[in-house]
Amino acid sequence: MLQVLIQGLLLSGLYALIAVGFTLVFSVGRVLNLAYGAYLLIGGYAYFYFAQSLGLPKFAGVLLAGILGCVIGLVKYRLIVKPLKGDQVAIEIATLILAVVLQSAVILVFGDSSKILLPIIPGVERVAGAAIPYSNLFAAVASWVILLALWWFVKTTHTGRAMQAVSMDAKGAAISGVDADRINMITWAISGTLGAVAGVFFASYTQLYPGMWVAPLIIAVAVVIVGGIGSIIGTLIVAHIVGFLEVMTSAFIAPELRGVFTMILIIGILVLRPKGLFGREEI
Amino acid sequence: MGLRWYHFALWAAFAAGMFLLPEIVPRGTLRTIIFANFLAIFAISWDTLSGRTGYVSFGHPFLIGIGAYTTAILTKRFDVPVEISIPLAVLMTMVGGLIVLLPALRIKGSYFALVTLAMMELMYQLVQVIRPDLTGGTRGMSGLPTLTRGAVNGFYMSTALMLSIAFTTWLLMKTRLGTALSAIGMNEEAVAGSGLSVTRLKLVAFTASAFTAGLGGAVYVHYLGSIAPRALFDINFVFTIIVAALIGGAGTTIGPILGAFFLTFLLEYLRPWLPGAERYLIYGGVALVLYMYQPKGLIYLMGQAVRRVRKGAA
Repeated sequence: MLQVLIQGLLLSGLYALIAVGFTLVFSVGRVLNLAYGAYLLIGGYAYFYFAQSLGLPKFAGVLLAGILGCVIGLVKYRLIVKPLKGDQVAIEIATLILAVVLQSAVILVFGDSSKILLPIIPGVERVAGAAIPYSNLFAAVASWVILLALWWFVKTTHTGRAMQAVSMDAKGAAISGVDADRINMITWAISGTLGAVAGVFFASYTQLYPGMWVAPLIIAVAVVIVGGIGSIIGTLIVAHIVGFLEVMTSAFIAPELRGVFTMILIIGILVLRPKGLFGREEI
Repeated sequence: MGLRWYHFALWAAFAAGMFLLPEIVPRGTLRTIIFANFLAIFAISWDTLSGRTGYVSFGHPFLIGIGAYTTAILTKRFDVPVEISIPLAVLMTMVGGLIVLLPALRIKGSYFALVTLAMMELMYQLVQVIRPDLTGGTRGMSGLPTLTRGAVNGFYMSTALMLSIAFTTWLLMKTRLGTALSAIGMNEEAVAGSGLSVTRLKLVAFTASAFTAGLGGAVYVHYLGSIAPRALFDINFVFTIIVAALIGGAGTTIGPILGAFFLTFLLEYLRPWLPGAERYLIYGGVALVLYMYQPKGLIYLMGQAVRRVRKGAA
């Protein structure tokens, strides 16, 4: 029981980090970035390349992965999202195509086979019969720190409040002198950085392979849908619902069924309460 | 209905041209065309649901998979002859179409797209876990009865199927019903305001799409002779279907066919030059650039070229 609790907490923290980058872009720019999973893919592989192939310090690996994610986020906004001028379906399709392109780029550079990341911090702690790698503990703690920092940033800084304003009403924000384009750029950059860093942690949880972007994308989608748009707290709560649901399913029912309840949750919530559990009134 | 004699003449010329191909092109090309035909069927099916009504589905393999798995299980596990199992599979898929319709009654846009994506993932995970003795679990099934032998027969069968589906869909879309469906894609409230039952129209679109998807999926399985969950319920498969419909031109009938052939042959002709993973990079890159350049697709670009030539001649 304690084991489930600990594993659930660790996994949920990571899921919250994965989802928050996705929810930011969704609530500020009103677009679903289906290439979000590709940040995780690229972050994971960048860390692998810098920290394991080149042998740079691990912290530098995470940092470089984050910077790469940030750059890709900015390029994506400039070249794909902005030219499509808010046509939501077109952006979804274009980003889906982009995700597949990036996946094949990764296969081209690193090959098709899966790779195993060395733990960020080696060692295992035993609690109540459960083995908890320090790596996972570090990932969860780091996720919480990043999330709190982000929450502080959005709530208190000028830029963060401008982001909130754009997410509530882009026209109203523009009238109040907020440069929506600049805010969108910043949001895409943050989202890319968070995604890439989450990718390093996610890859050390599971493994590194070219198709690894699909699962986190679905988790992010699930968390955002069930939590509702524009709610960081909602994202946090629902990340824990999804995380615990998965851990409990694999502990008490069957490991193969771990994703099934997440899917049922998405479908059920969307059909019954399209706004999500904590979201604002909107389509 | 806006039907003209030359419409039928064009269709007849298209069909005649297709059926003459085995006399002209080598076997290997025929096999490529077979895959293009099936992709065209799936793209037409996607377009019937998403291209017309604007309810973008990211989970079309959900429907294709229902058709494919139904006939595979019936023929493999219960020794049902193919002539019975395929119609049953199509019926099952139409029931599946009703399941997809349920969320569409309440939500639209991005949210609908996500529900369909979730449906596909759910199906993928359930197929492997529930009754693996029936579905073959993660590995899927092989050794299913095949409908035809050899490239030429397979070509005739898939082409006949593709042409009849395309022609029927085209006729259906030429009726007032088709107009109403496209109108839903433009402004659903206006359609409801004109006194039409939007729910009934959506019901028709979704079951028609499911019919095509089920038929295509079932025949495809009996062409391949095998089925595997990862190849079917895959986001790359969704990508191929959607891109085929969009690159060709969504909301038309000939567009998805054009897109399917363009993409299949692009991938095939890149093979000698780029044998490895680069191929998919180029393929995706071409798709992305084409889509960003003209979201209305190749059919629109061709129409533009024709208009420009006519202007020059006049």
